[in-house]
Amino acid sequence: MSGAAAARTAADASGGRRRGGAVDLWICWWVLPVFYVLFGLIFVLLARVIPPPRPDRSPEEVAAFFHDHAATIRIGFAALMVVIGFTGVANGLVAHQMKRMAVSPVFAYAYIAALAVGALPGCLMAAFCFLAAVFRPGRDPHVLALLYDIGLLTFVGSLGCFTTQYLVLALAILLDRRRIFPTWMAYVCVWQIVTELLAAPVFVFKDGPLAWDGSISFYMGTVIFGIYEVCIIVLLFKAVRDQPPGEPVQD
Amino acid sequence: MTAERETAARLPGDPGMWVFVLGDLAFFSAYFVIFMVHRGREPELFAAAQRHLSPAVAVATTLLLLTGSWLIALAVQASRAGEHRRALRLTAGTLLTGVLFMLVKAGEWAWEASHGRTFASGDFFMFYYLLTGVHLFHMLLGLVVLGVVLRELRAPGLRRTAVVETGATYWHMVDLLWIVIFVLVYLMR
Repeated sequence: MSGAAAARTAADASGGRRRGGAVDLWICWWVLPVFYVLFGLIFVLLARVIPPPRPDRSPEEVAAFFHDHAATIRIGFAALMVVIGFTGVANGLVAHQMKRMAVSPVFAYAYIAALAVGALPGCLMAAFCFLAAVFRPGRDPHVLALLYDIGLLTFVGSLGCFTTQYLVLALAILLDRRRIFPTWMAYVCVWQIVTELLAAPVFVFKDGPLAWDGSISFYMGTVIFGIYEVCIIVLLFKAVRDQPPGEPVQD
Repeated sequence: MTAERETAARLPGDPGMWVFVLGDLAFFSAYFVIFMVHRGREPELFAAAQRHLSPAVAVATTLLLLTGSWLIALAVQASRAGEHRRALRLTAGTLLTGVLFMLVKAGEWAWEASHGRTFASGDFFMFYYLLTGVHLFHMLLGLVVLGVVLRELRAPGLRRTAVVETGATYWHMVDLLWIVIFVLVYLMR
């Protein structure tokens, strides 16, 4: 971190700065819109988990689902495995801004750690369950149904790690007297926490608004997540633009 | 911090809180629409399940919340007038109504659950626990918000009217949401 800051100071001293912020941070920022567009395209068009297939299918229907979509599931999740690591850059940029806030850096560490835990149920388990299901054709439909359930239950029902992430971000924003992010972003995080809580009933229901393909558990949660992502990308843009060059950041 | 002297039209409290209030009302509206759609599909089942709820208890809790809203509104006036001790007592009163509301709700949930009406007992009770549960979560956050207001009013160096107004704005939203839940879930036949 200090090496990057030193390099940034050197770059500014050479007079290369145009619109505020430094090249390294702008590279990190551009990862966000590019990654999240790819992320959305892969999940919606290829991987077949958005919109989620129904939870109340018979094992034979699940087998037919994997048979019909084997090619796009392979392409989609294989592509995702190539780009998923870029979430680390996106989360790192948020954590960097959190370390600029007038709060303990513990908030930034907790943010990163909570997301590192959440990546497993929130994305990777779904990907590998679906990839394994289409890897060997002719598997027992009951085994396929198990992979289907694990994949979608973890994907929609992965809660606690993400509520922690939103909570520490909201607290850091509200406690920060430097106003790196405006207070309304903390309240957007509160909406996210509520949607994560409302995803908990997916472990109980097989149909209706609280099932994993339900209007409340899935669709409202996804819409509010989309709002959150747009807000954080815009606010990171402003934060990077307004960040004084060579500003020391706490360790 | 002499915002109370301004006469021009302005938003009381933190503008960020108004973003939250408007967005939250929009999301709750979506929950209410989803509730109405499911109710429209099986009106007899919803009506039969609704008869198990006690409107009397719901009226009592509604009055409790309205009292809390009234107290916090008085607290804003007291804070604007510089009567911080009075604002402190009024805010504490609102906090008390919130705690009482949550205790009554917990009792109501326990009573319904002990009679076999749980989260999984059909769509009506699923929505009942869902809507009252999300509302209770907002109320829990509201108690934290009121705690922040109390801390603000206790510290002689702080006592910013804007913080009291922000707390009141949040609390009124919790109250407003409850009134809609009260009408939709408990009263509407």
